[in-house]
Amino acid sequence: MKDEVVISFDKVSKVYKLYSSNKARLLGIFIKKVPYKKKKAVNDVSFSIKRGESVALFGKNGAGKSTILKMITGVTFPTSGDIKVEGRVSALLELTSGFDQEFSGRENIYLKGHILGLKDSEIKALESTIIEFSELEDYIDQPVRTYSSGMKSRLGFAINVNIKPEILIVDEALSVGDAAFKNKCKEKVNEIIKNDNVTLLFVTHQTAVAEEFCKRGIVMKDGKLVFDGEVADASKKYDELYKKKKK
Amino acid sequence: MSYFGLLKENLKEHKDNYVQVLRLSIADLKKTYHGAALGWFWAIVKPVVSIFVYWFAIEIGLRKGGDVEGVPFVLWLIAGMVPWFYMNELIVGGTECIRKYSYLVTKMKYPVMTIPTHTNISKFLVNAILVAVVIVIFWICGYPPTIYLLQLPIYMLMMFLFFNAWGLFAGMISAIGKDFSNLVKSFVTAVFWLSGVLWDVDKLVETNLFFKIFFMINPVTYFSYGFRNCFVYHKWFFEEPEKLCCFLGLYVVLAFLSLWAYKKLRKEIPDVL
Repeated sequence: MKDEVVISFDKVSKVYKLYSSNKARLLGIFIKKVPYKKKKAVNDVSFSIKRGESVALFGKNGAGKSTILKMITGVTFPTSGDIKVEGRVSALLELTSGFDQEFSGRENIYLKGHILGLKDSEIKALESTIIEFSELEDYIDQPVRTYSSGMKSRLGFAINVNIKPEILIVDEALSVGDAAFKNKCKEKVNEIIKNDNVTLLFVTHQTAVAEEFCKRGIVMKDGKLVFDGEVADASKKYDELYKKKKK
Repeated sequence: MSYFGLLKENLKEHKDNYVQVLRLSIADLKKTYHGAALGWFWAIVKPVVSIFVYWFAIEIGLRKGGDVEGVPFVLWLIAGMVPWFYMNELIVGGTECIRKYSYLVTKMKYPVMTIPTHTNISKFLVNAILVAVVIVIFWICGYPPTIYLLQLPIYMLMMFLFFNAWGLFAGMISAIGKDFSNLVKSFVTAVFWLSGVLWDVDKLVETNLFFKIFFMINPVTYFSYGFRNCFVYHKWFFEEPEKLCCFLGLYVVLAFLSLWAYKKLRKEIPDVL
């Protein structure tokens, strides 16, 4: 059970097609000749992650981290290569989005739960925990469009960590809210990985925070995987790369 | 993947996710009428106002109209307009559906082929209520339900399936380029005036072959007159086999196009939206 591979990437590449305009993109559906630039966001990446592992993903902006995360969540598709993911993925990507603006916070909890395939009774059982965790109190029955961005991300975080994920993806989401809430989030993430045998994928620029949570680290550069190993070595490698770029 | 495989995948996605699809349809409905003090009332007011305006313009203003098959013009108009309200919502709404629910595409793993369906179901329910209202209106005016009303569900089902395929096709294309949804929006009024929702195409059809073909392959005409067959003309849908075959042919083409669009664009839209 412990050695079961939950995420595996096999020679995965992702190419984005960049058209000069939206018009060109629309024409591109019908006419193959319309020119576009190719941008390789992820280039021949292979790795595998076992159940219960916690892995940090380092890389500068544009190194391909977000694309990898999106491919794990099943939102985008690789141009070539194979991806296997097993278990319910809960992604803390862009917490403020993914809500229905017209619905209240409470209705959004149900909507998210339904989309993820939870039953009414299951959501009902989690509802009070989520509301309590998000600290929204009376605002929970107001439409989400009236929320501040901090409130939205708190609600997003609360929903995602409480729906019993099997794979948890955290994309710098721990920079949510004030110091007290940040600590609460950290504790919650720690609790989840310790108790429930959840696989954690943590994306960050701050190596110190990553070392708190993770044992393994992966460093990305320009779409390529340049290092995969102990988190301490990975953060050293990341710092080196970053310093070199500075000169 | 072959088109047959895609069709199977489509049916499977609907079967596996029907609970979510139904819930999202209800959510879509709630959202449309939510936040307005009169809420559901608007679902009735909007069609009543448009029917009144068109009736006034044609019968009172232009002094045209007159009885059709012994039924007052205004009732004839209502019978043909009711499916149009649904078609209008779906021609535009189907085109926008994937953009509107872009968070289902870009923020989570969700079966994209079912997105047009839940938009469609929510509009369909509103239309079913309107149809019931029309039956009552006809009754009050002295035209009690006949056996021909039994075919209404068949027309409604055909309409549902047709516009579901349209929603997938148009939604996919307009997710890539907004121009397509602008194109559709600017043509929807033209479609309305050209399809005989307001005036009797039968007189025009007799005059030349071009019009005959034009109205035969026009799905809006087909449904508008299909509803009139139920309420006014008292004809069965199988009594007009050429029209039925034309429609079915058109449906097959559209279904094929929707699968083509899905196959081609499914992997691209999350990167674009």
